[in-house]
Amino acid sequence: MLKARYLASGLVALACGLLAGSSIAQDVKIPDPTKVVMIVDRDSNDIAFMDIASQKIVGRVFLGKNVNPHMVMMSPDGRYVVTGGTRANKAYIIDTRTLTLVKSIPVGIAPEHLSFSPDSKFYYQGNPEGDSVTVIDMTSLKVIKTINGLAEPLNVTFTPDGSKAYIGNYGAHWVGVVDVARHELLKKIPIGAAPGIAKLDPQRYLGEIKGVSNASPSKDGRYLYAADGDLGVVGVIDTRDDKVIKVIRVGKDPWRAYMSHDGNYAITVNNGDETISIIDTRKNEVAATLPAGPDMTGVNFAAGKAFVISSTTGFVFVYDMKTLKPAGRIKIGTNIRLETATTDTADQKMYLAASTDHSIYVITGATNGVQKIANVGLYPWGTHIMDSKDNYCH
Amino acid sequence: MPGMRPASATDDRQVLVDRIDMLERRLADIEAKLGSPQAQVATTAGGESAAAGSPQLAELDRRLSDLETNAVLSEPKTTVKRIEVWTDKNGNQSDEPIPGAVKSVTYQRETTARRQAISEVINEALEDAESKRVHIGVSSTLTLQNARQLSGFRTPANGHSYALASADLLFTAGLAQNTIFFADVVGLSGNPPDNEINGLTLLNSYTARLSRQNELNLREAWIRTEIFNQTLGITAGRLDLTNFFDRNAAANDEQTQFLSDALVNNPALGLASNGAGVAVVYEPYSSFTFKIGAQQSNPLATNLSESTFVLAEVDYLMRPFGLPEGNYRIWARTDNSARKRSNAFGVSIDQKLNPIVTAFARYGSGRVGLDNIQFYSAGLSFQNGWVFNPEDNWGIGYSRTKFANRDEDLAEIFYNLHLTERLRVSPHLQYVHENDGPATRAFILPGLRLQASF
Repeated sequence: MLKARYLASGLVALACGLLAGSSIAQDVKIPDPTKVVMIVDRDSNDIAFMDIASQKIVGRVFLGKNVNPHMVMMSPDGRYVVTGGTRANKAYIIDTRTLTLVKSIPVGIAPEHLSFSPDSKFYYQGNPEGDSVTVIDMTSLKVIKTINGLAEPLNVTFTPDGSKAYIGNYGAHWVGVVDVARHELLKKIPIGAAPGIAKLDPQRYLGEIKGVSNASPSKDGRYLYAADGDLGVVGVIDTRDDKVIKVIRVGKDPWRAYMSHDGNYAITVNNGDETISIIDTRKNEVAATLPAGPDMTGVNFAAGKAFVISSTTGFVFVYDMKTLKPAGRIKIGTNIRLETATTDTADQKMYLAASTDHSIYVITGATNGVQKIANVGLYPWGTHIMDSKDNYCH
Repeated sequence: MPGMRPASATDDRQVLVDRIDMLERRLADIEAKLGSPQAQVATTAGGESAAAGSPQLAELDRRLSDLETNAVLSEPKTTVKRIEVWTDKNGNQSDEPIPGAVKSVTYQRETTARRQAISEVINEALEDAESKRVHIGVSSTLTLQNARQLSGFRTPANGHSYALASADLLFTAGLAQNTIFFADVVGLSGNPPDNEINGLTLLNSYTARLSRQNELNLREAWIRTEIFNQTLGITAGRLDLTNFFDRNAAANDEQTQFLSDALVNNPALGLASNGAGVAVVYEPYSSFTFKIGAQQSNPLATNLSESTFVLAEVDYLMRPFGLPEGNYRIWARTDNSARKRSNAFGVSIDQKLNPIVTAFARYGSGRVGLDNIQFYSAGLSFQNGWVFNPEDNWGIGYSRTKFANRDEDLAEIFYNLHLTERLRVSPHLQYVHENDGPATRAFILPGLRLQASF
């Protein structure tokens, strides 16, 4: 009996020692999750963490070979960082403080864009090639549901109270409404109908579909602005009754709407005619249509201006949001490809990923100044800052 | 025998572990065949136990199936990149700036380990091939017009119908960084009503600034380059300067907007034909744009010095009185091709009144050749609303031209129906009143334009 006691106490001591060693091994690398920029590197298959103040890479989490991560996002509570591995068909969950890969979870086919419920309880991972959204419970870190019946789901938007989620279907012309309590598709909201004359143009409407990539919320979260590429419109959805209250015609092939931080304007980038449409959200009508560039991938807002990224030209087009007029162009580089950017929480600086350059460019909103941060990883596809108003992907 | 149960469970787990190991080896083999230099399977991090059982096995099976059916058996992706390097006085090259080293640009291959789906590889190859070839576009238009004389001096035009077919072959090719070549070869066949009505301005703008009909014409052939961070565009060659100057968002295109030349360009420009020249556009992407251009104004001239047409313009984008955007342009030109130098100036305005309605106006005054000209036009254009189909547009416009001792009043209404992305049809109704002393006359011309472009 005595022997057994000694043995048990020895085991407890050993376990304590192991636990102590474990805590030493898992040093805290990110003490404040609001102070880092996350960079998703598609070809080096990692998430890099850059300290905002020092602009140094302070950590990097390797996900696995050929994972091809697409979008990175931090949970609203700052505890986890997640990404979808497009080629691995998995979701990856990283502990923010220790930068350890906590778990990889099989999801649907080709996971790309994702979102968290506002209470950080659920992680919705869109699988555009699988036409599904995988729901991961962030307490158990397990898949609790797969929402099927979607058509190339690209982006998920939660209501501020977390009761509903809206899914943009790029392979269709509707927005899916999900009941977050049950994680079930409640309703399909059509943004617009193809014109009757479309039957004369099968090549355009049947060859390839460019539907709804995203439903962008108004500042108060009551309305959603969903652009439809083929139809060239933005549907305004009232989330109280999930109905389209207005259809606004914009330029050709709008990719999605981006909300200004004051909530007064939504900007669509229209790659079909290389313009932007600035929608006055108080009147729900187009206030200005201005020239821009080709292959636009995103819009950021800082220092009272809008910065529109033209991927293949290496330019960022600038617009004054008071006068709604062009305010110059910033040449980022030649023969480089720009992806997307995030804006810091002070609305002053933007962190723009340049994939072929393996770099991040820091743009100062007030001066349009640019600073290059090289070698952040291979093929950076996007960036993310906790609580930024411009966290998006493409 | 409660002691037997753990032993059995251990055996089961071992079987599962062995099978998972086998599947992982299969996956690793396939990944090695795909060319990944360090091929191995990304194992479950954080340690979901291998004994988790059949769900994990099913997942491995599914991954294997995906790899076997979707992945490309190819080498790792390689790209050639333009990089900056620093070379010191001893000829040593560094990727980072070092004191005393000279910066230069070189090119280097880079290998990445991205696995691509077959569709991605094919699309990349197609895009690459597309970017290197000469792009050819085709635009063909048939315009049918009928003249009904309403009053005045009788002309042969009364009751006559007219057909004009126009085909444009457009060539575009990239020559160098931010430099392209463009050519537009146009063939015209048929007759517009202008030969019989003989008005001050053309009733079919397709023949404007072209000296020959019923044969092939080189409408334009030029090279364009952009310098100073692409803010300064220089275009040189055979030009149609109206593509750069006196533009208007609502009344500037005979293919999709008005057919009458007085509602396409300002006759005070006095450009009789396209010619060899240069256009320089400074576009800082602010509210202002600055342009200057010059071209040979007389195709029969034997030298450039005696037939020089010089034009300058300032464009300003503004939003007056809380309206949407409007473009305001003012230009001035000089031409020495006549015996006496002639000058003129003009304005061109398009102002959106709301997201659907755009108001436009032009004014021009000066001399064309040896005579004075005064011109103005105005109208409304409708798009994005009040149409049958979303991409249709329509407009109504009026112009008045006074030249020498003659004057002309012209009005036109059209509706441009987009049948498909490449096919449009538009009915037009034109009214023209020519005040020419004893030969004063008025016509109404219903017409139809069928336009296809590829």
